[in-house]
Amino acid sequence: MESKNVNSLDNAFASKFAKSMFLAVLGLIILTFIGTRMFTHVDLNLYGYMVGTIVFLGGFFYRFIAWGERPPTKIIIKKGIKLLFRKSTPKTSVEHLATYRFIWNRGIYRWTQHFLIGWGCLLSCMVTFPLVFSWMYFTMTENGYYTIVLFGMNIMTVPAEGLIAQLSYNALNISALMVITGVCMALYRRLKNMQARADQKFMYDFLPLIMLIFISVTGLALTFSNVFLHGWGHYAMSLIHQYSVIVTLIYLPFGKLAHIPFRPLSVFAKNYREHYGEQSMKACKVCGTEFVSTEQSNDVIQVLGVNEIEFKKEQFHLAELCLPCRRKYRIAQFSGFPTHEVKVKEANQNAKG
Amino acid sequence: MKKRLYIELENCIGCRSCLAACTQCGGHEERNRNYVYDVNPLVNRQTMPLMCLHCVNPACARSCPAQAIQIHETGAVLSALVEKCIGCQNCTIACPYGIPKFDTEQNLMYKCDLCIDRTKDGIPPMCASVCPTNTLQWLTEVEIEAKQKQFNLDNGKWVTSMPYLENETNVKVNLPGILQGVTKLF
Repeated sequence: MESKNVNSLDNAFASKFAKSMFLAVLGLIILTFIGTRMFTHVDLNLYGYMVGTIVFLGGFFYRFIAWGERPPTKIIIKKGIKLLFRKSTPKTSVEHLATYRFIWNRGIYRWTQHFLIGWGCLLSCMVTFPLVFSWMYFTMTENGYYTIVLFGMNIMTVPAEGLIAQLSYNALNISALMVITGVCMALYRRLKNMQARADQKFMYDFLPLIMLIFISVTGLALTFSNVFLHGWGHYAMSLIHQYSVIVTLIYLPFGKLAHIPFRPLSVFAKNYREHYGEQSMKACKVCGTEFVSTEQSNDVIQVLGVNEIEFKKEQFHLAELCLPCRRKYRIAQFSGFPTHEVKVKEANQNAKG
Repeated sequence: MKKRLYIELENCIGCRSCLAACTQCGGHEERNRNYVYDVNPLVNRQTMPLMCLHCVNPACARSCPAQAIQIHETGAVLSALVEKCIGCQNCTIACPYGIPKFDTEQNLMYKCDLCIDRTKDGIPPMCASVCPTNTLQWLTEVEIEAKQKQFNLDNGKWVTSMPYLENETNVKVNLPGILQGVTKLF
């Protein structure tokens, strides 16, 4: 146990949750103070989203602090942060979090749907949250020209009919179309693909998709109402849209969508395996094959110990055997004959499907 | 009626039907998740199957930082949730039986889920439903108890036994009586 400084800032807070919540809200207020030029440019039309975001933060911290207290999670977060500045981190991050290379390897169809949904949602978040907290807004000082203001700074002045302006107005329309396409692909796959159908659950797998498509359709309906109906129904629709966004946001840390804020851990895991693998590898106690880093082997043994699981044998801990040897050792326990000591490679264990 | 997978190890003839059947289970993406091993490969042809024993307190799930391995209400320890698995491979190191398989390309662990889409409705898992020698069976508690009685001899010995392995498991494994120097009578 590390000794805690009595004067540490941590002691000012009743709990980790209280501290995280306080710092997050404080951060939001400071950013908004700067962004809105001392609260002079607040878009109060969007205050509902503001309240929703705060409630979301409550759920988010509750869920992820509880989760981070689990012994294996704690280890990977602690060591992951320490290894964050490895040379391979940017490449791994892009592959895991931006281009989803591992999903490409699961199937191009799945990659396409995930890329559309993922980047559609990220794009819309990057537009929505700055607008909600007024970190970004547009002013028109000269007729026909918009000034884009980001965090109180005039970033650029663009013609109101120009390409950049058009892209800005339509960013949410574009992201909505991306999400709708992606969700339709995902729904089609979940309805038709037998592999997906075998172990999907309506509430876990379908509900988030339905919520996303509902948000996107109601959002597009706002544009439709403006462009084609002279704003008819805009007020009611904007409330429907707002509620759907807020409910989804609050639900996010608790369902399948929780993987969005949580996924950066896969970069930690990759760094963890690479870094400690380069340092020293664990040789199997039976056949001598190097199969995992010494660090990870020790970490897993320790984590199992915390959970009161002890696989200690006379000469080794079971986690110190490579996988084929561990399986052969088990056969040896079944039969009474020491299969793991026979120096024969395991027979092919992969059936052709 | 709750049923369990029950394994009578020495019945295995090494046909590997269970491996082939495993590939055909929905959600397995045509890859098998179980194993068949030669007991003494250079001497005889005895084989034994090895599959996930679905521990009551599963080491794989306890060691998973992502909570990707969930335990079903039937007791089955499920395969990694595809969106949660972060590819750290802790589970492969933790499992006392060496069961979880890892796909490096897909950055995803996959393991026996006891064919949960079947067994949650009481349908036997693929491996048990095809096993031609009754090595893998799908039995009720009462039937398993009867098996246990059948194999206990009067002299305090057994021709087969069903002890816990590393810890308590939901799959019941019948160890061959050969461990005690007695032969099972069919």
